Amino acid sequence: MALIELKNINYCYSPGTAFEKHALRDVSMAVDAGESVGLIGHTGSGKSTLIRHFNGLLRPNSGQVVYQGNDLWKKPNEIRSIRFQIGLVFQYPEAQIFEDTVGKDIAYGPRNMGIGQEEMNARIRESLQCVGLDNSYLERNPFRLSGGEMRRVAIAGVLAMRPKVLILDEPAAGLDPEGRHALFDALRHYRRKSGAAVVLVSHSMEDIADFVDRVVVLDQGSVALDGPVASIFAQAEKLVSIGLDIPQSTKVLLGLKAKGYSVKTEAYTVEQAEQELLRFLKEADRP
Amino acid sequence: MTRDLTVGQFIPGHSLMHRLDPRTKLMLTFLFIIQVFLTKSALSLIFLLLLLWIYIVCAQVPARKVFRAVRPIIPVIIVTALLNIFYVSGHVLWHYAFLRITDQGLFTGFTLLVRLITLIAGCSLITYTTSLNALASGLEQLLAPLKRLHFPVSELSMTLSITLRFLPTLAEELDRIIEAQKARGAQFATGTILNRIRAFFPVILPLFMSAFRRAFELTNAIECRCYHGGEGRTKLHPLKLGRRDYAAVIFFLAAFAMTLIFNSIRQPF
Repeated sequence: MALIELKNINYCYSPGTAFEKHALRDVSMAVDAGESVGLIGHTGSGKSTLIRHFNGLLRPNSGQVVYQGNDLWKKPNEIRSIRFQIGLVFQYPEAQIFEDTVGKDIAYGPRNMGIGQEEMNARIRESLQCVGLDNSYLERNPFRLSGGEMRRVAIAGVLAMRPKVLILDEPAAGLDPEGRHALFDALRHYRRKSGAAVVLVSHSMEDIADFVDRVVVLDQGSVALDGPVASIFAQAEKLVSIGLDIPQSTKVLLGLKAKGYSVKTEAYTVEQAEQELLRFLKEADRP
Repeated sequence: MTRDLTVGQFIPGHSLMHRLDPRTKLMLTFLFIIQVFLTKSALSLIFLLLLLWIYIVCAQVPARKVFRAVRPIIPVIIVTALLNIFYVSGHVLWHYAFLRITDQGLFTGFTLLVRLITLIAGCSLITYTTSLNALASGLEQLLAPLKRLHFPVSELSMTLSITLRFLPTLAEELDRIIEAQKARGAQFATGTILNRIRAFFPVILPLFMSAFRRAFELTNAIECRCYHGGEGRTKLHPLKLGRRDYAAVIFFLAAFAMTLIFNSIRQPF
């Protein structure tokens, strides 16, 4: 059984007015425990609307959100307790920081859960360490940190709730390569340690290829494709036709193949492409 | 929640009212307000309603939208009308204990009701048919004579248009922050009043931070373009009064005079 499942979700903004917009049409997708899923789609394809359904920030007009076998909207009063288990990190999450020390800000989520002081301290330290910051940050003013550090503090604030599903909307947007690496390392670390499922929304095909096992492609509010990374990026033409891109390394291999070289194109990360090219060169050298 | 603030928002269009100069519209709105308050007799009330209908048709704004603008203040209107019904002296129609209703009171209450609704509906037309930028530049030109008195007219109009421009942006930002804190378990609608107020700190503080950040960025952007106040600035689309505007002014003045005439004709009330 899937950990969280969306069944035939429909959602419409401002129904019955001139601003009516049908954002999601009959969207179904499921995420298993420990899985990492990428959610990609053109701007305005409904990604941001979709992730707000995972933790009950938006209520679907029709369809069900099922978490651990229970319909989320059967007991709307208990949605708040579900939100502690389904962590949602919005775009530019550093905009949500409000406390004067890093420690206090990370504590906001756990405190809302009603967690005791001792466990709270443990959780704060743990999530801070998880995002690669040491304890010296605890008493620092978050507004004096660098952009990348602020981002990681904000994400630590969600990790401290120890969510079983972690959803991130463009977590690496605007970060330098170093910050991006640190961030994805932190996410991998959290996933390995807690066994949580991670849903990653991103425009960067490189990030998707690096981090996830499965990809769901949204196009104009419906699921266009859903499958393992390999099978999705193999459909380069279809991706391009709905305004998306493929990883640079895949592009290189596809280009070579189009020129008549017999390389395999199932490589999505730089490492895989490097191996494939080395293999090809070795074989080409042989008479 | 903040998304529902569509009342009074500019609706792009090409109606007669849309094409009037914003200065004309501002002055005529002012004239219309005076006219509404001078309306006294039954005949001029009917005339006022007819005028409102003409203006709505000229603006090509759905009547439903215009009356939606009135909705929020309906309770105020009803209370005011009721008070008038009971407090105006005249021929007594009905009484109970200290309450009495007079014919004059009924009429005054009804007049007030119609006048207030017409007032709000009429004023909403200008915001429905004029973009905020046009309003701001119209206001700037109307106030231009005050420059002689060293009143910072163009700075004021710049401030006004920046404020109006950023209202929807901040509303959107507010929505986003509320959602982010909800995702961390914030709850706003439960608990004691003190707790509810406290629950808003995690929203208000980030909102202020981002408003300040935006303000500094905007200041830089404005300085980079060498903005130095209104001195010697010209406009890309200078406002120009057309034949249409003069016609509108004449129509409004005629309507104003008609109200005065209808007021003075002898009628039962």
